[in-house]
Amino acid sequence: MKIRRSTALLAGGVVLAMTAAACGGSGGGGGSTTAAQGPKGQIVWSEGTDVIQNFMPIIAAGNSTATANIESRLLLTPFRTYPDFTIHYDQDLLASEPTTATVDGKFTVTYKVNPKAVWSDGQPVTWQDFQFSWDIQKSSDPKKGGCAALLGTTGYDLISGVAQGADDHTAVVTYSKPYGDWKGVFAPGFLPKHIVDKGDPKATCDYVTKGWTLQSGIPEGATNGPWVLLKSGIDTQEKSEVLTPNPKWWGAPTGLERIVFKFATNDPGVAVKNLKSGTANVVYPQPQLDLVKQIKALPGVTSQVNFGLAFEHLDLNTRNPHLAHPEVRKAIALALDRAAIVSSTVGQFDNRATVLNNRFYVNNQPEYKDNTGGLYAKPDVAAAKKLIESIGYKLGSDGIYASPDGKRLSLDTITTVGNKLRENTIDLMASQLKPAGIEIKKDLDPDIFAGAEKAKSLEAGGYDIALFAWVSSPYLTGNKAIYYSVKGDAQGQNYTHGNDPKVDALLDQIDTETDSAKAAELANQTDAQLWSDMFTVPLYQKPTFIAFSSTYTPYDPATHRGIGDNATNAGPHWNDDTWTLKQ
Amino acid sequence: MLMYTIRRLLSSTLILLASSVVTFALAASVADPLAPLRQRRPPPTPQEMANQAHLVGLDRPWHVRYLDWLSHAVRGDFGTDLGGNSVNQELGEHLSLTLRLLVFSMVLAILLAVVVGVLAAVRQNKISDYASTTVAYILIAMPTFWFATLLKEFVAIRLNNIFFGGRPVIGIYGASSAGFKFGHTPSEIFWDQVGHLVLPVLSLAALSYAGWSRFQRASMIDVLNSDYIRLARAKGLRYPRVLVRHALRNALIPTTTVVALGVGTLLGGAVVTEQVFGFEGMGKWLLDAIKQSDPNILLCWLIVSAFAIVVFNLIADLLYAVLDPRIRLS
Repeated sequence: MKIRRSTALLAGGVVLAMTAAACGGSGGGGGSTTAAQGPKGQIVWSEGTDVIQNFMPIIAAGNSTATANIESRLLLTPFRTYPDFTIHYDQDLLASEPTTATVDGKFTVTYKVNPKAVWSDGQPVTWQDFQFSWDIQKSSDPKKGGCAALLGTTGYDLISGVAQGADDHTAVVTYSKPYGDWKGVFAPGFLPKHIVDKGDPKATCDYVTKGWTLQSGIPEGATNGPWVLLKSGIDTQEKSEVLTPNPKWWGAPTGLERIVFKFATNDPGVAVKNLKSGTANVVYPQPQLDLVKQIKALPGVTSQVNFGLAFEHLDLNTRNPHLAHPEVRKAIALALDRAAIVSSTVGQFDNRATVLNNRFYVNNQPEYKDNTGGLYAKPDVAAAKKLIESIGYKLGSDGIYASPDGKRLSLDTITTVGNKLRENTIDLMASQLKPAGIEIKKDLDPDIFAGAEKAKSLEAGGYDIALFAWVSSPYLTGNKAIYYSVKGDAQGQNYTHGNDPKVDALLDQIDTETDSAKAAELANQTDAQLWSDMFTVPLYQKPTFIAFSSTYTPYDPATHRGIGDNATNAGPHWNDDTWTLKQ
Repeated sequence: MLMYTIRRLLSSTLILLASSVVTFALAASVADPLAPLRQRRPPPTPQEMANQAHLVGLDRPWHVRYLDWLSHAVRGDFGTDLGGNSVNQELGEHLSLTLRLLVFSMVLAILLAVVVGVLAAVRQNKISDYASTTVAYILIAMPTFWFATLLKEFVAIRLNNIFFGGRPVIGIYGASSAGFKFGHTPSEIFWDQVGHLVLPVLSLAALSYAGWSRFQRASMIDVLNSDYIRLARAKGLRYPRVLVRHALRNALIPTTTVVALGVGTLLGGAVVTEQVFGFEGMGKWLLDAIKQSDPNILLCWLIVSAFAIVVFNLIADLLYAVLDPRIRLS
């Protein structure tokens, strides 16, 4: 009887608590709809990447996907990347499309700021913000007066000056030499002078180095987008942040009253349950087959698989004595059945998945071209074997070739730990390359992205083949570090150490080509040259996956309003001020 | 007892010091906080990577960094995390959440364990004993993450659907609904937090109860079979009085020590429970710090959780002496 009484008491207490909680209003989903007009409701975004530690976007502590997501429409930048991979100027921040010119032999860009544009404390956005943003980011070398905390100075280091144009709202940016990716400058990193400038370079650098920590929040007046993140919107204990409409915003009002960012682990099971229970209204997890199936089966949930800018590829280390021979590298590409790899891996998610035949553009970018010349469309084991034998390799009794000096053609293939798709890819590679006399050994390497002090890291070069992803960008100059010849100790991200002067010359031309059509032509020429070098083998675009409650209006490509994926570096939050509840 | 306590605290300090050295050395050799920067496109230049290494102190030998950390830690300053946030403030926030979870789950687990353990002992080899034994063994054998997942699916989501129209009244993730404080009264916020405590408390309490009820049952059976209990009954004392005043008090001694040790361990966080329920307590703090290779958080966690274990071990020993006057500590 005592047990029954205790149990009854406990059960009663729980039910009482639950009932009271039920009376306490809504949970995560939907939110209140107090406003008769304008913004209505809220959305809870389940952030599965990182805990936000710092909001300053130009330092290492602020270099996270989570920070980029939350600041997408907090800190506006001159240009935005749309879901179709095209780049357009921000029509809220700027009054017109920036113009380029060559003045006295110098490449210049003129930005006209929207006269209504103000920072969140009401201070106007002016040319001085452009000048200050350049000034603070032009150098990371303290010996030259730079700020050591900066994560990069690309583009800013080519600017020779920023001057006032016709009025306070016009900035004229002059480059020391033409810069093809000038649209990528000030993104991120368009900062408010009146907040960040502390009077002298050292004090300003100290301020930037400390950044805007999670605990301190973003100071009032430091943002210029349709949202603000108030100190009261940050819950450091619960790891959540709430964006609310910016009262000083001059553009179209936000569709929602709030966007709630809640950090959640990247566990697919958590994503499904949070969505199912209404704890989260939108999730953006790494797609896995079971996860996609489970979420697609949920009622009242809209989901989309897309193909973004990240692509899987193989790095073939030319410091390996076998892979130093272009014949061996090409034989690998010839013997691989990349279409079979695609259908056994990402093809399971979506039948639009296809083989990637370009290193600069992914399949759904308008500039994409197949630069293989049709050579690697289907596996050709006989041709692969012929190539290997042409350099004196002999087939061993175990079916694996050996070099003229007797070394077996056995290649250690590293990849990240815990990625089933990559493991499957290497297993398939092993079975596809064995008939061509090439042995592949799978090696799950926890140190793959470690520094050079770890022997098996990409930086140290202690591998034969590496399978990992690059995240591409509509901006081409980011590719230079991967394919430019290694000079001394400066290998950049050219982990294969594949050097080709023709590629270098083309990459140098891309750097300074300000005509985007011509730059695309140069990029495709470079890719064609890289197919003949075969330092790397592209495999396929990685899919992205977004799922959200069907109570929200999905993205409409005609109006660019509504929630949906933007599978570029901009991410789904690129237009989160236009997200609305369905009427 | 005082000298014993002082000696124990001194030896524990040395253990804490040694643990911190080992943890720092391990973190310094394994953790690589700069790894994410290497995948940026374009990548930071070697100069920029060197700058970043300098900013987080990686350009100094690990023992120098350790001594620097120690000189602050002994003054109660655990420094900042890699994002520049105060680790002390983070500790307070995570510890308070763990304490919230711990207090409710421990009270529930202790009550259940004592009541069920005593009843099972009194009604040994009866149906109720078999039933409680079966339940306890099932709970002991059940993996925490699986049990927690069952609770989410079959308790929270279904009850919410049946009774509350699908609204997440019984929370399944976090210690409160994200953003709930906007547009809600303090009372509503309080009950939202209660709703989010239900599952993690049930999960942690059930698993702790399972083991402790077995201790209580075994200890109670021992006591009930002892001579002095037979004598008390023979003298004509009423059974409930014998059970509560004579048997239970002695039978609580082993359970008390086990509970004290358990509480000490759990102050470091119920890692699996907190992870599954997204409860930002000490356990989840540890896992996130490991993921982010954040040495200052790792060390702070280690010191605090090790300290809790040491203190509660000591409390267990002292309680043993208090509950049983025959035991003297020297």
